[in-house]
Amino acid sequence: MLDNFLNINNWYLVSFFYLLIGFLLSRDVVGLTPKLMAIVGWPIELSQKVAGTKVLPYLFLFPNLLIFGLFTFMPLFMNFGFSLTDGASINFSSRDYSGLDNLARIVSETQIDVGIQNMEDDKFMAAAADTFIFVIFQVPIMILIALFTAIVLNREIVGRGFWRAVFFYPVMLSPVVVAFLWTLILKRQGLLSQTLIDWNWISEPIQWLVDPSWTMFWSVFVYTWAHLGFYMLILLAGLQSIPRDLYEAAEMDGTSDRRVFWRITLPLLMPILLVVTVLSLIKAVQAFEELFALQVGWVSLVSYIFETSGLRGQKTEFGLGIAAMASLIVALVLIILSLLQFYLTRRQVKL
Amino acid sequence: MKKIILLAFFLIVSSFSVNAAEIKFVCYQDSNECDVIKEMSVVWESSTGNTVNIETVGYQVVREQLENLLESDAAPDVARVTNLGGLNKFYLDLTPYVDASYWEKNYGATLPWYRKPSGDNGIYGWQTQLTVTGPYVNVTMFEDADVEMPEEGATWDDWAEALRQVKSELGLTAGLALDRTAHRWAGPAFSYGAKFHKDGVPILVDEGFRKFAEVFVGWHEEGLMPAEGWPAGAGTAYKNAAPLFLDGTVAMHMSGSWMLGNYDKNITDFEWKVVPIPCGPGGCGAMPGGSGVVAFSSSKHPEVAASYVDFLAQTGSAGHFASSTSNITAHQGLQKLGIDYSGVSPVVSAGLSTFAANAGKAAESTPQAYWFQGYNKNFAIYGIVPDYITKAITGEMSLDDALDAIDADVAAKIAE
Repeated sequence: MLDNFLNINNWYLVSFFYLLIGFLLSRDVVGLTPKLMAIVGWPIELSQKVAGTKVLPYLFLFPNLLIFGLFTFMPLFMNFGFSLTDGASINFSSRDYSGLDNLARIVSETQIDVGIQNMEDDKFMAAAADTFIFVIFQVPIMILIALFTAIVLNREIVGRGFWRAVFFYPVMLSPVVVAFLWTLILKRQGLLSQTLIDWNWISEPIQWLVDPSWTMFWSVFVYTWAHLGFYMLILLAGLQSIPRDLYEAAEMDGTSDRRVFWRITLPLLMPILLVVTVLSLIKAVQAFEELFALQVGWVSLVSYIFETSGLRGQKTEFGLGIAAMASLIVALVLIILSLLQFYLTRRQVKL
Repeated sequence: MKKIILLAFFLIVSSFSVNAAEIKFVCYQDSNECDVIKEMSVVWESSTGNTVNIETVGYQVVREQLENLLESDAAPDVARVTNLGGLNKFYLDLTPYVDASYWEKNYGATLPWYRKPSGDNGIYGWQTQLTVTGPYVNVTMFEDADVEMPEEGATWDDWAEALRQVKSELGLTAGLALDRTAHRWAGPAFSYGAKFHKDGVPILVDEGFRKFAEVFVGWHEEGLMPAEGWPAGAGTAYKNAAPLFLDGTVAMHMSGSWMLGNYDKNITDFEWKVVPIPCGPGGCGAMPGGSGVVAFSSSKHPEVAASYVDFLAQTGSAGHFASSTSNITAHQGLQKLGIDYSGVSPVVSAGLSTFAANAGKAAESTPQAYWFQGYNKNFAIYGIVPDYITKAITGEMSLDDALDAIDADVAAKIAE
């Protein structure tokens, strides 16, 4: 009966009763605008009357907490559950507890269930190695370019606003659009190959995204292009928060630009750089959408997890558990890296 | 005020009154299948008073999301599926609701595809169509290149040679494309002698499988097959090669009968046709298959859902569906009577005949194709083969290592 009442087709009834209750409760309110406000906002006023103003902040926080709990904490706990159980189903009632078997399935040389050569460890290690290569190139390159761009765009240059918009624009694009744009450029008949052929730099078109010797380069390039603007903006805000009088004092002392950068800009920007490094590191390890849509020739860790989990229609008995365990290993590595970053920076600040 | 309250109560009570049932049908569409089913459903709705809410989705939705939906409260009552045996545990057994003798008589050949591996005699789904894999050829390209098309009975090697000539004459990127899945790969592999099983137990890498794997990798190395095909996918991902045929990148697409409607509708600037399945030392291999409409045991209206599937499976409905969607019917009675394809274009009509002949050849010369179609873990194998063969093509692994890896991975997956 409740299902029937809450059915989306009965929205008009629910709305009617909501407003009816509001109308009944606001009989004493005078004036059209206050009365309308009271009719619409009666749950807030009622809760304020019943519980006082102290409860009100929690009431406002509740929707956000609910969404956070549903879409962040619940999946987190479910992931732990999947990693310690076996079965193709997503329902825990149909899954059997298996302890750390899924960890063994990822790291063992021998498949623990059938005693033959294990392929899962090779797949996981290949994904981890490729992701590692991607991260160690992508993160430093992006931070360096973002820092350089932020410094340039912090100066009084012609069309500064325009250039800031140009560099930030890719951030606003959906990953699929980014991938589509770059596929047009990088496919066999794409702009890049054709241009290079026209210039006689190459004789045959190159499949930039498929060719094993180029796929990682373009993965790093496109991912950096797509995310650079976000980190540049953070660094730009950091640069603008450095007091101007420090630069003026340095100028009066005749300090060289190079010394100003190393002695003023960089030390004062270090906390922001730390944030940028940690954020971009986490983001790079989690890289997926652009790479998936670009169909690059390597499997990232997240692609491996996505594929193994059976979410692409090839469910297996252990797939979901293995994928969940792999995601926990990745999370652990990220936590360690983040803590290391914080430790090093705190040490640097103390020194 | 009293009047308002009375009106509100009236509205509530009226909203609770239960009328005829509404069932939800998740229908994936290759061409116009769901549109035709929608038209047909009007008759069932008006005769029973029930309604069917048909949600038309892409194939990927059924392939990737349906199983999770079935494990949640969001499961539909009815769906059109291709993983026929793999979803068996969710099916509603229609036996108590339908005339079992009619179903056995007319769909007896395909009912086992939906059943559990052994000892199951349930009736689970209406086989909407029989599909069979086979090659589409760009006739205009062959004519422009002045290359003679190999005739019926020609081998894959003959076709490869002809396609090499077309590619060379016209300066094409490649000659042949094949969808990135072992389902399409299996047909040519059967032709080269791959058995795929021994007494019902999968044994993928035998001599025939290895031979075709060598040929297949070689075709990529020489450029007969495009880098935009298998090498452009990573892991177990499926990749449709139809865009490469549509845009003239290749002169042949190894696909299946389900593409007839799509190609008939979308190809306007060149002539195309379906050709007999190429052969080899192992026979003339093609993969049979198809999709089916099933009802799920989680349905709140099992009787209604079963009645709907039964309606679709009736001779009149099945015949209308086959002729309107240009598909090969699975209804054995209609197969004998013949389907009226008079409304379709000559190229589609000819294509249907060729595909039907391909299915017959496969049944005779490569019966392992029918075993593979009915094997309930075939979907895992469909992904494993391209995963490792792609690595052999791109040079990440030697072919020997890739074949060893296929054997080991398949053994682990089927043992689960």
